[in-house]
Amino acid sequence: MTHLTIEQLLALREPGLEPGVQGWRDHATACELCRAELDRLDQRVARIRALPTLQPSRNRFADIQAQYRRGRTRRRLLTLSLGGLALAATVTLAVVFGPRIGGDPATAQLAEQQELDDIIARSRQLESVIEDYNPDRRVTDGRTAVVAASLEDRLARLDRQLQLVNLMDQRVRPQEALRLWRERVGLLDALMDVHATGATYVRY
Amino acid sequence: MNVFGLANADAVLPGVKAGDPAAQEALYRAFEAPVFNLARRICRTTEDAEDVLQETFLEVFRSIGNYRGEGSLWGWVRTIASSKALMRLRRNKYRETDELQDDVTPLRREDTALRMDLEAALERLNGTSRAVVWLHDVEGYTHEEIATLMNKTVSFSKSQLARAHARLRRWLGEEVPA
Repeated sequence: MTHLTIEQLLALREPGLEPGVQGWRDHATACELCRAELDRLDQRVARIRALPTLQPSRNRFADIQAQYRRGRTRRRLLTLSLGGLALAATVTLAVVFGPRIGGDPATAQLAEQQELDDIIARSRQLESVIEDYNPDRRVTDGRTAVVAASLEDRLARLDRQLQLVNLMDQRVRPQEALRLWRERVGLLDALMDVHATGATYVRY
Repeated sequence: MNVFGLANADAVLPGVKAGDPAAQEALYRAFEAPVFNLARRICRTTEDAEDVLQETFLEVFRSIGNYRGEGSLWGWVRTIASSKALMRLRRNKYRETDELQDDVTPLRREDTALRMDLEAALERLNGTSRAVVWLHDVEGYTHEEIATLMNKTVSFSKSQLARAHARLRRWLGEEVPA
């Protein structure tokens, strides 16, 4: 019988008994050269296993945490934005029908309602752009991730405030909603800048 | 490998499932080195391995709810890490030709100055062969498991391992003179 091939020697190291393996095993027991080759193979594998454990050059946990939080906030934002839509409708109704119920429609209130509609539309547009950019699927540097996570935390807080606007006095509700929606658009603008340019300093 | 950390990793599982940052950090500390080591042994560069490390833990934190406790937690994390590292390998499309033409310039046994050390020889293997060697010989994956991870056949995994060992044997100067 000729000497064992590397495939056959490797098969001898596998658990179980494939067809033909017993014959190869018998050969390896009887043949000094093949036995020595099998020993060398075992030693090589043992040496590979004994190679030192390589360590990352720096701690990546902060980056991972920031990216994880960002993803979570984004999912929360998506859920809240449905609530935001309902809220926007409520506020708009309050602005449009409130003055009719109360008396004369004021020009200022109509302008305010127009601005609110515009700003909600702008907010939706920015959210859609950020969603399309899909930052979750991109590896970003740590500082950018931290800034983005901080902006998204502020957005989440803002959305909670927006939900509470509904409980406010009807006279102050439209102005407060307008102020919060403006702030929301500003934060989304800043967030888009961070993703688009990797900016680690934002004015907002 | 952080044996203390690995042994205690299961203890922080409820916290990780609840999204607790302290528990996540404890899990990261326990598995950081073995995950990075696995990624670095498969990927060509440290940067790639660090990206795999980041992607693995993000996936672990996002999908920890899917871990049902069947098999060890390390086994579950390791499968995610292996899969990410192999994805990175495919994405980068490492050229098989980056392997030196060993058949053209065989090393002579007596030329000890040219004999490679094990680290260098492993680095010299092409990405796929190196990944199979590491997953099979060190991590203990079967050829069936490697075939599933790589989306290839069992014979592909076996032949990659045989080819890799034949080359390592030659490069390490282990060939017996005829």
